[in-house]
Amino acid sequence: MSTIDLKLLYRDWRGGQLSLVISALVLAVTVVTAVSLFADRVERGITQQISQFLAADLAVRGGIEIAPVYRDKANELSLVTADTVSFRSMVFAGDNNHLASVKAVSQSYPLRGSVELSDNIQGLNIRMSEQGPEPGEAWVEPRLLNLLNINLGATIEVGYLSLKVTQLIINEPDRGTGFGAAGARVMMSRADLPKSKLIRPGSRASYRLLLSGSEGAVEQYERWYAAKASKEESENTVPHFNLVTPEGAEEQLSEAFTRGRSFLLLSGTIGVLLAGLAMALASHRYANRLTDQVALMKAWGQPSSAVRRSQFIRLLVIALVATTIGMLVGWLAHYLLLELAKGLLNVELPNPSWRPWLVASITGITCVLGFALPALWHLPAIAPLKVLRRDMPTSLVSQGRRLAVGVLALFLLTVWYSGSLLTASLFLAALFLLFAVCAVVALQFLRLVKGLGAWQGSYLRLGLANLWRRRAQTLVQLVGFATTLMLLLIVTGMRTSLISEWEAQLPDDTPSHFLFNVANTEVGEVKQLLVDEQLETTDWFPMVRGRLVEINGETITRERLAKSGGLSREVNFTQTATLPASNELVEGEWWQAPPAGPEFSMEQDVAAEIGLNIGDDVTFSIGGLTFSAKLASLRSVSWQSMNPNFYVIFYPGALDKYSPNWVTAVRAGSILDQRADDLTQQAPFISEMVQRFPTAIVLELTDVVSRIRDVIQRVTQGLELILMLVLACGAMVLFASIGVSFDERLRENAILRTLGSSKKVILGALAVEYAALGFVSGLIASAGAEIVLYFVQTKVFELSAQWHPLLWLLGTVSGVVLVTLLGLLRSREIISVPPLESLRRLA
Amino acid sequence: MSDSILRVESLDKVVRTADQDLTILKGVSFELKQGHSLAIVGPSGAGKSTLLGLLAGLDEPSSGHIWLGQHQITAMDEEGRARVRSELVGFVFQTFQLLGSLTALENVALPMELAGQKDAQARSRDYLAKVGLAERTTHYPKQLSGGEQQRVAVARAFACAPKLLFADEPTGNLDQATGEKISDLLFELNEQSDTTLVLVTHEQRLAERCQTIITIDGGEISNTVEKSVKEAPRGAVA
Repeated sequence: MSTIDLKLLYRDWRGGQLSLVISALVLAVTVVTAVSLFADRVERGITQQISQFLAADLAVRGGIEIAPVYRDKANELSLVTADTVSFRSMVFAGDNNHLASVKAVSQSYPLRGSVELSDNIQGLNIRMSEQGPEPGEAWVEPRLLNLLNINLGATIEVGYLSLKVTQLIINEPDRGTGFGAAGARVMMSRADLPKSKLIRPGSRASYRLLLSGSEGAVEQYERWYAAKASKEESENTVPHFNLVTPEGAEEQLSEAFTRGRSFLLLSGTIGVLLAGLAMALASHRYANRLTDQVALMKAWGQPSSAVRRSQFIRLLVIALVATTIGMLVGWLAHYLLLELAKGLLNVELPNPSWRPWLVASITGITCVLGFALPALWHLPAIAPLKVLRRDMPTSLVSQGRRLAVGVLALFLLTVWYSGSLLTASLFLAALFLLFAVCAVVALQFLRLVKGLGAWQGSYLRLGLANLWRRRAQTLVQLVGFATTLMLLLIVTGMRTSLISEWEAQLPDDTPSHFLFNVANTEVGEVKQLLVDEQLETTDWFPMVRGRLVEINGETITRERLAKSGGLSREVNFTQTATLPASNELVEGEWWQAPPAGPEFSMEQDVAAEIGLNIGDDVTFSIGGLTFSAKLASLRSVSWQSMNPNFYVIFYPGALDKYSPNWVTAVRAGSILDQRADDLTQQAPFISEMVQRFPTAIVLELTDVVSRIRDVIQRVTQGLELILMLVLACGAMVLFASIGVSFDERLRENAILRTLGSSKKVILGALAVEYAALGFVSGLIASAGAEIVLYFVQTKVFELSAQWHPLLWLLGTVSGVVLVTLLGLLRSREIISVPPLESLRRLA
Repeated sequence: MSDSILRVESLDKVVRTADQDLTILKGVSFELKQGHSLAIVGPSGAGKSTLLGLLAGLDEPSSGHIWLGQHQITAMDEEGRARVRSELVGFVFQTFQLLGSLTALENVALPMELAGQKDAQARSRDYLAKVGLAERTTHYPKQLSGGEQQRVAVARAFACAPKLLFADEPTGNLDQATGEKISDLLFELNEQSDTTLVLVTHEQRLAERCQTIITIDGGEISNTVEKSVKEAPRGAVA
């Protein structure tokens, strides 16, 4: 590397020719570093948090005692283990009893997260425990005290065992959001389980072996498990167990998590796209400035190869310096982001992996090669004769080729960031569409401007005439502005749609409480109580617990049942003649008239798991009595609808003789209210329900929803912070695209001022020009964003498409305001520098 | 022939336009001795600057031959001509062609630095002092007047010690008084450094200071005036 190249680079930098190129590159690397570091750490943090919902990194789950081989492998990999056994059991205190959800846990439970406990009924003095109850102790949900009419310190009977209630459970990590666990929670020690004599062969219980450890060991265990599972599948043996990963632990949480990760990566890509665009524009300007230098160098006898070498050295140094600065600034910015997010993201963040640094370096180099180099590529080919004939055309690398190289660079980066060819392709498709739309609309707009040229107002005429005269540059600026705005709008649109789509799923009449276990004899009284309290309910469903025993006369083996998470235990059956809301028929027919024999309808996923088809004859067992029914239809069920839902629905009459309990959902306040920590703030009807009907179970959905919403909020708030950096990239594009016409404007305005135009007229004309540009850009951006949002929503995030009228308003208004303000800020030199100095500078 | 620094034989330049071939230069031939000065004059559009570009090896003729020193540049490709230019040629332009981001000193030093000359800075200072700008070395072009900028350009051209200096309308952008100072400077340095000077100008006073004046009209040499005695430079360098 010769010192003259470095000298030239330093002089270019000193002359301000490089500042925009370097700033854009620094910003691109900053954004990517900050986003990657932040995303990496938040992602790992969230993964850990989701592990908390599992109370572990992984869990092996089964309907029978976990086989030793799974434990042995865990020990071999030095994973920490804990055991839980969950089942339903009546618990007693004196004359009172309750069908509770009991969980027996080993001392090491939970492996991730902690159990929130309180030692008083008001839920004060909350403490976190990272281990389970001691033998002889029971931790219970506060409502159990009401249900059993006892106080803390009392003794409850669980099977043949007496346990002392020592703590109240405020929250537990793997509580789950499903509604199966409807009984009040009782947590006891795993060591006490044999003494309780509750678990006997054939007992219904869910066993979990919880595992946690280093990332590598956990991954190794997952791989071992996958290999074992695929071997079993090839041998056609039915596995008794399944592996629960954090992602699979909570379907809704993991959906939010997956969406969140896509959002973070998409934001990063948008930042790079914007900074790349700014770099391409700034490099174009830099190349213009270098033209004279190169022509002179060649006239003095420098061969093309020397010019090319000098160019590469300069770009290499630019890439190294800017990438290093960008990584440093990004590293600081990520701390700033974390600091800002501290209050929002209640997640403990692990150290970043090496990946963000690699991402940042490759981004820096790719940006230089993809965006800066094409703009400078033609320089070595500049004819030396240009020193004499400055008007000689320079054969720039064609716009099309430069675009192709930039797009290729962007495409490679996007594919690499997102790991999704589809996401990357959609982005580029939207970009091309934007360019095409820009070209068409801008052309129409410029024609319109031509027509407006006859207007008298001096600012307006001058400003709009400027747009027309600089058609080519106007187009570049429109593409620049519109792209920026479009991307910002897309992110805004996606950010808002994530939450709003979720909340839109919860209609106004979303129930706030579930009532279970309402005895046949009490239904009338409970209904009356709810009427007295002026509470609305959904339909009442009779509910009977039972299980499947035969399919087409063949006994269902335990192995076959174990394939289905839903049917491996006793499930709730109901009967109704009308298809419940939030259910959709997917196969077969819903009953229009009473069927000839008993028939039932099943949820499609569990039917597939257990291998049932329409017309199959199934034998059910309810309380030891069996009966057969034919599968008449398959349904899809929206489990997120918060309505009572059932795997198995019979035609009315089938369950009459099994004295069903009843279930309904009640609306008592909004489900979207934040969960009140104060336990006394329960809906008023609950205490009366609990006292008058102690066997009925009331499940509060507010609690469930607020937990889910909390996680989604955290993910999106992280995104909002990242958007601030994307916005800075957007401003950079505006600056760079104004830079494209900067010299020309400086010259023209100097001439205008020399000829006597006032600053006011020039300022007014500039304002009109930028505002018009901003308006059209806003319109185009809104249209582009709407189209991209449609694809991103439907294809990437699998949401239903939505129309966004607010986006259009936001697009046009912010387009005008943003472009005008930034434009005038960038152009202040045009107005403030005395005309003579302007002309000299450009000489 | 051996003492010729520049020799031109039957030079033609034809430019192909959309509908016809345009002859810019036709059958131009002349010779110039080392250390002499030549003015190329003629009306606008006569082909003066095209000829200068060809002579300096910046452009290729349609036919004919040019020798710079011992090198027949018309038989060379651009890389070959570049080598000859780096060895023999310097330039002064009508528009000065100073780089705006470089100080006066850096502008003068640049071609020497590119050529790898170690004493570029010191030499630049000397030449800036010779053109009377010793105090302005750290000034940028925008901080200098037009005359001062052209003096920097002249210093840059002579500091490289070219055998041949091509000047394209060197006083064209300057007022008469400043223009005269620049031409004094050119001729004085020409004398001191035994550089051969080739000027394109439409200014008769400047042309008359050269030993040979070629008039180009319609792409052909219409007149050649040779002066037997080299005139002394007028006045001192400011």
